[in-house]
Amino acid sequence: MIFTDAIELKRQRKLAIVWGVTFLILFPFLVTLGLLMRLDQGNLTTLSPTTFYALMTLHGLGMAGVLFSFSFSALWYLNGTRYVKLSTGIGYFVYFAILAGVSGLMIGTLIGKFGPGWYMLYPLPFTGATWSHWSIGVSVISLIVLGLAWLTGILHLLYTLAKEYGGFTHILGWQYLRKKENKRDLPPIVMITTISLVPGVFGFLVAAAMLIMYLLQFFEPTLNFDPLLLKNMVMFFGHLIVNITLYCCVGWVYALLPEFTGREWKTDKVLVYSWNATFFFILFAYFHHLYMDFAQPRSLQYLGQIISYASAIPATAITMFGVIAQLYHSKIKWDIIPLMFLFGMAGWAIGGFSAVVDSTIAVNKVFHNTLWVPGHFHTYLLMGVVLFIFGFLFYLFSEKGNRHGGGVAKTGFWVFVTGGYGFVLMFYYGGVNSIPRRYSSYAGISINSTATTGVHLAQIAVLFIILVLTGLLIMYISLFTKLFRRKEIQ
Amino acid sequence: MCNLTIFPTIENTAGIISLAGALLVYMVVIFLLITASKEEDKTSAKHKVYKVRSRYFWGLTIFLIIILFVSLQFLPYPHTGPKVDQVITVVGSQWVWKLAPGVSHENPKNFTGGNELSLPVNKNIEFIVTSSDVNHGFGIYNSQGVLLTQTQAMPGYENDLQYEFKEKGDYKILCMEYCGAAHAFMEATIHIY
Repeated sequence: MIFTDAIELKRQRKLAIVWGVTFLILFPFLVTLGLLMRLDQGNLTTLSPTTFYALMTLHGLGMAGVLFSFSFSALWYLNGTRYVKLSTGIGYFVYFAILAGVSGLMIGTLIGKFGPGWYMLYPLPFTGATWSHWSIGVSVISLIVLGLAWLTGILHLLYTLAKEYGGFTHILGWQYLRKKENKRDLPPIVMITTISLVPGVFGFLVAAAMLIMYLLQFFEPTLNFDPLLLKNMVMFFGHLIVNITLYCCVGWVYALLPEFTGREWKTDKVLVYSWNATFFFILFAYFHHLYMDFAQPRSLQYLGQIISYASAIPATAITMFGVIAQLYHSKIKWDIIPLMFLFGMAGWAIGGFSAVVDSTIAVNKVFHNTLWVPGHFHTYLLMGVVLFIFGFLFYLFSEKGNRHGGGVAKTGFWVFVTGGYGFVLMFYYGGVNSIPRRYSSYAGISINSTATTGVHLAQIAVLFIILVLTGLLIMYISLFTKLFRRKEIQ
Repeated sequence: MCNLTIFPTIENTAGIISLAGALLVYMVVIFLLITASKEEDKTSAKHKVYKVRSRYFWGLTIFLIIILFVSLQFLPYPHTGPKVDQVITVVGSQWVWKLAPGVSHENPKNFTGGNELSLPVNKNIEFIVTSSDVNHGFGIYNSQGVLLTQTQAMPGYENDLQYEFKEKGDYKILCMEYCGAAHAFMEATIHIY
């Protein structure tokens, strides 16, 4: 079904633009927090460790939350304007609940100096804390609000899709595995929405259980929980949300790239097998975060490596080759949107590859919690997810038939890509040189070469972050010009 | 315990492999940027790409299986095979490492140990690592700043790490898990004689 109610389309579009503008405000703010951290590590400014770790916590939680929120909202928009009717009331409820959660987190971190890192590894929030006691409660409650908001939105979207397409197994594409002929095509974006968001439901439920345990301990400090169990829970959630953020983006690449290549991208049996396998990999790859916890059952460590390796197969052989099949000899015009999608795929491939290398237990023993890890996930997010998001924003903000982007957008794009790769390269080089991560300062390391390399890499990274911000600014000029021009025409 | 010795360090090897992977990805990107300007019937183009994909799928699957089996021979987990020459108890506390010879049966909160220790070269040392408060990471660095091995220090759990120091000199212990405000200043020294 193609959804054609003009008023509803306008409402959904307005909601998507509200999300887009919110993203465009929050994203550079969070990048600036990262810049401050690298300035401090490079001895170019001085932050107290308490401030550094509060900024690190907000940067991590904020980025994960903002990127997932926008990726989800884009899927909401594309599904809600093409295939199903979604409630804009619920959409705005989710939006405002997320804003409330983000505001609470900002208060907890910036005023209360809450700083146990995004993962709040138990029992750090409660032990030896240098942050205000109240900031623990405010931050945990804010995270619960965020989780409930996302759950509400996800469940509404999944329920509506399942109702429209004849049941849950149908939106997973299982009807393609039967011998009977299909009566109705399932758009790939609907299946990818399902495959991405169902694990999200599991993830948010596990996170909610963990946060309730934290809240209980906040009110009753004598309580004691198992640190290994809680580490499994937080890594399950953390790995999953970053993973599904990218898969949400891939969903709209499947939907939008064919508009530029003129080649259909349809669901078939191979695609269904591949994405259903991905569903399983999303849930269980997280064990690779616990390799250095030798007390974790050995079988789970093996499983972590096997699943991490296996996840590379559908991602590259199906989706990336699918993109190649879309583009190869397609006579495509390299407008800003397909360019962003192509480079986003490259960022995903490179960030994913360095993750697979690190998911090898024998390698992880020397890369775990070194700068290699932020190297991997910044490539995956900044050069993958963020490029996909900007590709989508150019699509959303432009007028149909005028999606070229022009010279300004492309200049911004190249500056951003140069800055981004320079920035992540400093992390990778730091990882190869064994520089530990989450260090507010390298002054305490008595190995001279390690301390000096850490400082120098942070200083060079600062220059590249400034390039990233410059690239963003140039792209903003193009984006908002398009948005306002479109409004004038309307 | 096995150690990879083909290249100078595991870090360098992994870095070179990853760089090669990134260059390969960008070769594909450049190939697509150049070739996309030509036009070909979509069925024929798809057929060509999927022919390569089929080979890629089997090649990648076999390659991953081989790497999996090879790499699983080099695990950092404790072995039953080699004889342990000396046992060291390690307790991480905010923000200090405490090390002492022997197995400790004390509550980690009451454990007393120094943040310097001397150990013999070429002996299989077993570190029993735990924490008295929050999670820490026990990372052993050589004097050139190369991270040699590590394990987590988790309250309520003991992680056994075996390591044989091949060269004499001073080795540093850095904290590899964020543990609060002075995480970056938590260090200890092992002298190998």
